[in-house]
Amino acid sequence: MNSAKIIEKNSVPSEAFLVHGMPDVGLVGVIAASHLITEYKMVEMAYMDSESLPPVAVLHEGLPYAPIRVFGNGSLLITISEMAIPADSIQLFMRTLLDWGQSKNPKLTISISGMPVQNRQDIEKPKVYGVASNAALLKMLEDKGIEVLREGYLVGPQALILRYCAEKNLPAIAFLAQSFFNYPDPEAAAEALKEFANVTGKKIDVTTLLAKGEEIRLRARDIMKRTQQEMTKMKKGQEYDLPLYV
Amino acid sequence: MENKKKKQSIYDMIKEYLDEVERLKEGIPTIERPSWDLQACTLEPLSSIFVTPKEVIITADLPYVQPHSVKVESINSDRLEITAEMKRKVKFKEMGMVHHEGEFSSFSCQTRIPVAVDMQHLKTNFKRGVLEIRIPRKRSYKIPAK
Repeated sequence: MNSAKIIEKNSVPSEAFLVHGMPDVGLVGVIAASHLITEYKMVEMAYMDSESLPPVAVLHEGLPYAPIRVFGNGSLLITISEMAIPADSIQLFMRTLLDWGQSKNPKLTISISGMPVQNRQDIEKPKVYGVASNAALLKMLEDKGIEVLREGYLVGPQALILRYCAEKNLPAIAFLAQSFFNYPDPEAAAEALKEFANVTGKKIDVTTLLAKGEEIRLRARDIMKRTQQEMTKMKKGQEYDLPLYV
Repeated sequence: MENKKKKQSIYDMIKEYLDEVERLKEGIPTIERPSWDLQACTLEPLSSIFVTPKEVIITADLPYVQPHSVKVESINSDRLEITAEMKRKVKFKEMGMVHHEGEFSSFSCQTRIPVAVDMQHLKTNFKRGVLEIRIPRKRSYKIPAK
């Protein structure tokens, strides 16, 4: 049976906001997480090791790193993946990240992701929806002026994070910004980050993110393409489905 | 005997056929190619194709592109070529890659259209850096409803 574990390189703070930015539609989570890491000059705290990971090392400044890492500072922890997550390992990886996260007693677990819309080209300012692991957090989102998704399907990392957190009674929310399905969407990431700031009280400047929009879209093409292949295996298109009334 | 007959239903046959195709696909070694062509100085854009009952919609993500340079040409009845010049040349070095040399000045890709379409009535729209091409489907016959 395959396993995964988180190896800590630095002392990891507890009671921090734990943010997950995993590859998904529009790479919204990855782009948002990457911006937070750069803006707050965060350092690598931990990384994932697993025989289920492809044989990949990511090179930065000539040094090899694991593709799934945790960055942090005193009050914020961010998990990010620099490669598409294999669909058949996503349950293992998310469960591992959540179990490890639980040991750090986070103040709130926050997923940032996209919500695919077919007319994205016509949308000037993508809307951000919220979902939560319990009713009190749903009310908090509404009190902050964030529209809550009432019915529908979620597929992918944020779906598992919410389900696991609900099982364990851990506080978790997710921001889902309207986005392109399979094109990197920095504008959607910027809107998601504005709501992240609204909820956490953190100051985030998205000016540089928007200014670098075209560069991000160019550089993120290959990871987007591989993410799309994995999303197809996960049946991501189910998010378009009409929900059954139960 | 009855069980055997059930197994041979059209649905089972299709499923068996698709399973076989999947098995064959897994057995065929494929070599991945990069999303760029150094000789032509082009990048392959991300693109998608949707087939609806009335039309075929093709989109392509074209960052850094000058809208007036976008060209859509039909190569034959079922193949389209998209090309677009970039506002500036992009070098590998800018992306921190020193093990490749070269630069890119345009996007280029060809898309195969899986159904019969009327290329004469192709319409394009370029917005938010994304090209959208809509081509009506050809209707060669009609089955009257009784």
